[in-house]
Amino acid sequence: MSNIVVLDNQAHRSVRVDSAVSARNGDNERFVPVVLAELPFLAVHYPILLSKDSETGAFFCGAMMGFDAGENLFLAEQAAQSVYRPLNLRRAPFFAAGNGLALDLDHPRVRPDGQSLFNEAGKPSAYVETVVAVLRELKAGAESVKEFTERLVALKLLEQIELDLAFDDGRPRKVIGLYTIDQQALAALPDEAVLELFRKGYLQAIHLLAASLKQVPLLAQRKNRHLLSAAV
Amino acid sequence: MTQPIQRIVIVGGGTAGWLTAGVIAARHQARMKSGFSVTLVESPTVNIIGVGEGTWPTLRSTLQKMGVSETDFFRRCDTAFKQGAKFARWSTGAENDAYYHPLMLPQGFAQLNMVPHWLESGQNRSFCDSVCPQGDICDDGLAPKLITTPEFQGIANYAYHLDAGKFSLFLNEHCTRKLGVRHVSADVTDVEQAETGDITALITREAGRIEGDLFVDCTGFHAVLIGKTMGVGFKDCSDVLFCDTALAVQVPYETPEDPIASHTLSTAQSAGWIWDIGLPTRRGLGYVYSSRHSGEDAAHDELMRYIGPRGKDLSVRKIPIRSGHRHIFWKNNCVAVGLSAGFLEPLEASAIVLIELSAKLIAEQMPACREVMDIVADRFNEVTTYRWGRIIDFLKMHYCLTQRKDSAFWRDNCDPATIPERLQKLLRLWKYQPPWFLDEFDRLEEIFPAASYQYVLYGMGFRTEIGPHDTAGTAQLAGRMLSENASVSRQLRAQLPKNRELLRKIHEYGLQPI
Repeated sequence: MSNIVVLDNQAHRSVRVDSAVSARNGDNERFVPVVLAELPFLAVHYPILLSKDSETGAFFCGAMMGFDAGENLFLAEQAAQSVYRPLNLRRAPFFAAGNGLALDLDHPRVRPDGQSLFNEAGKPSAYVETVVAVLRELKAGAESVKEFTERLVALKLLEQIELDLAFDDGRPRKVIGLYTIDQQALAALPDEAVLELFRKGYLQAIHLLAASLKQVPLLAQRKNRHLLSAAV
Repeated sequence: MTQPIQRIVIVGGGTAGWLTAGVIAARHQARMKSGFSVTLVESPTVNIIGVGEGTWPTLRSTLQKMGVSETDFFRRCDTAFKQGAKFARWSTGAENDAYYHPLMLPQGFAQLNMVPHWLESGQNRSFCDSVCPQGDICDDGLAPKLITTPEFQGIANYAYHLDAGKFSLFLNEHCTRKLGVRHVSADVTDVEQAETGDITALITREAGRIEGDLFVDCTGFHAVLIGKTMGVGFKDCSDVLFCDTALAVQVPYETPEDPIASHTLSTAQSAGWIWDIGLPTRRGLGYVYSSRHSGEDAAHDELMRYIGPRGKDLSVRKIPIRSGHRHIFWKNNCVAVGLSAGFLEPLEASAIVLIELSAKLIAEQMPACREVMDIVADRFNEVTTYRWGRIIDFLKMHYCLTQRKDSAFWRDNCDPATIPERLQKLLRLWKYQPPWFLDEFDRLEEIFPAASYQYVLYGMGFRTEIGPHDTAGTAQLAGRMLSENASVSRQLRAQLPKNRELLRKIHEYGLQPI
């Protein structure tokens, strides 16, 4: 499944990683965990919803990119860099390990035709430096996502949303386990709670989450276009 | 002039007292600002009994309505999941003799009665396993939900096992902090009554005189108000249910990773039965037996045989049981809830559910003024008497359907003279038609619905003669339900985590409220 090791410039001198965006490289993710700093970039393309971690039940924010498992309807644009690509896709196949990096040696990106991770002096490559920066952002963001979602739960601002969709291939899809902002509860918040959310920067995040719901029908249209182009 | 009912005084700080306080206070929260009050008077010297460790699924909605966090409840009360009861050695007494009374209804229960179809199918699988996935889930030691399932919701229906002592403390905190219940620690030394017989005030040693409009007696077996003050008599039913003594013991797990059963295991013995309830921290066990059929030493030996070698150092607590209930439960402005109302052996965990139903009825039907209280009291008495009767019948059914003849206890239980008339009639009727809708169990809040009777009857090998045409019209639907159940069972077994694993996660991460 995975074989995660701490990255070492000696042991992994010859390891090569292909950073290209492709289905083969594992970029076909339909729901990608994101951090709050990404929301302004994401909300213009993707629905951003909340879901629960299957191990802990904790809420997290995620950008929705498809309806079926392993479906990323933005793959081409992400490869062409014409849409924002979430940090968690850019991170793979690396993880943070303390202050260093870890690498999943079984990840499809790890391939002989990829690029090397260190120069001849053993210094990290520019690609690795980018990943380090991505992971730093993700680490800082994870804590605020936790705090943010816990506030949403405590203030009863979340509601479950069931996406019940019919596509042009005639097969209905039901996507469950997703949550969004309860607009009525938001409107009924007492002043002090509104002020607190605003000061923490959460109010903007809340509005971005709510506004990004408008991306759901656009994502559905995108799906239909993909179905059509696959059929002809 | 009318006399409004505003001051509710509850006496007794056990499970019954605090649950009743919580249910009433939560229901009438809006009136608390304008004079409505709930006061709970608890004796600083009387210990609570704390017998009930098994509950019904009703407790989920009861706690939810009180505004309790299920995560807190799990963490504070040694709570575990309960998905029904497994009855071992009740029918034939053989080693492999066991059946489940699960908490989920048979597949398609609202649409058709599966019993005739199961009878006709040759009964290769047990009735429970044919129509319900919960026996399989319990056999596998699985939890009824996932860590992502919100609080109080289940994938499979569930109730709880809990530590009753911790539960009272937990409710005490919730009721006083969140629901505005006033807690008075004082011994009641005297009761003041008006000429009408109504209670006007309690006289306490530590807190003086406490006035009230409605008094709820939750004083347990002492029955201070309903028995001593109001003089309501006790209807003994030990002629039907013989068990009159319990030997209770707490058994630690061998390792912290031992599986936790997600059902109550009830194993029949020579003069009664042993309950075996898995909490996260320990197992609670007890032998409920008839002292007319077994001496204490013999009962103790049987209990130790069940526990095995580890039992010898454990301290065993003897609890006398007096099966029966009050002739009436609400007299004048005094109503009894909990053990003061009555007690039955915990064979189907009926104690706490009866408290919930009584508290709910009082809260929902709270008389606006004294002038209409007697009307509410009459209705309360009627429905509560009905409930006790149905529970007694249902418990007796577990005994009188046995094929065991190996001890006087079981032989005596089958003596028609000990079987209530109403149960005898039902059993005669069910020889020719299996219970379902339009049977007599059609009250809005029936404790044991027809499905429960189905599980126990056919779990115990009861025979119903069905006619050749009884199944003709619904055969196709029934076939679909049987395969639907098999597929649900497969799905749940693949999806649900181990019971201990989920309990550990609830302690570590908590469940989400939505």
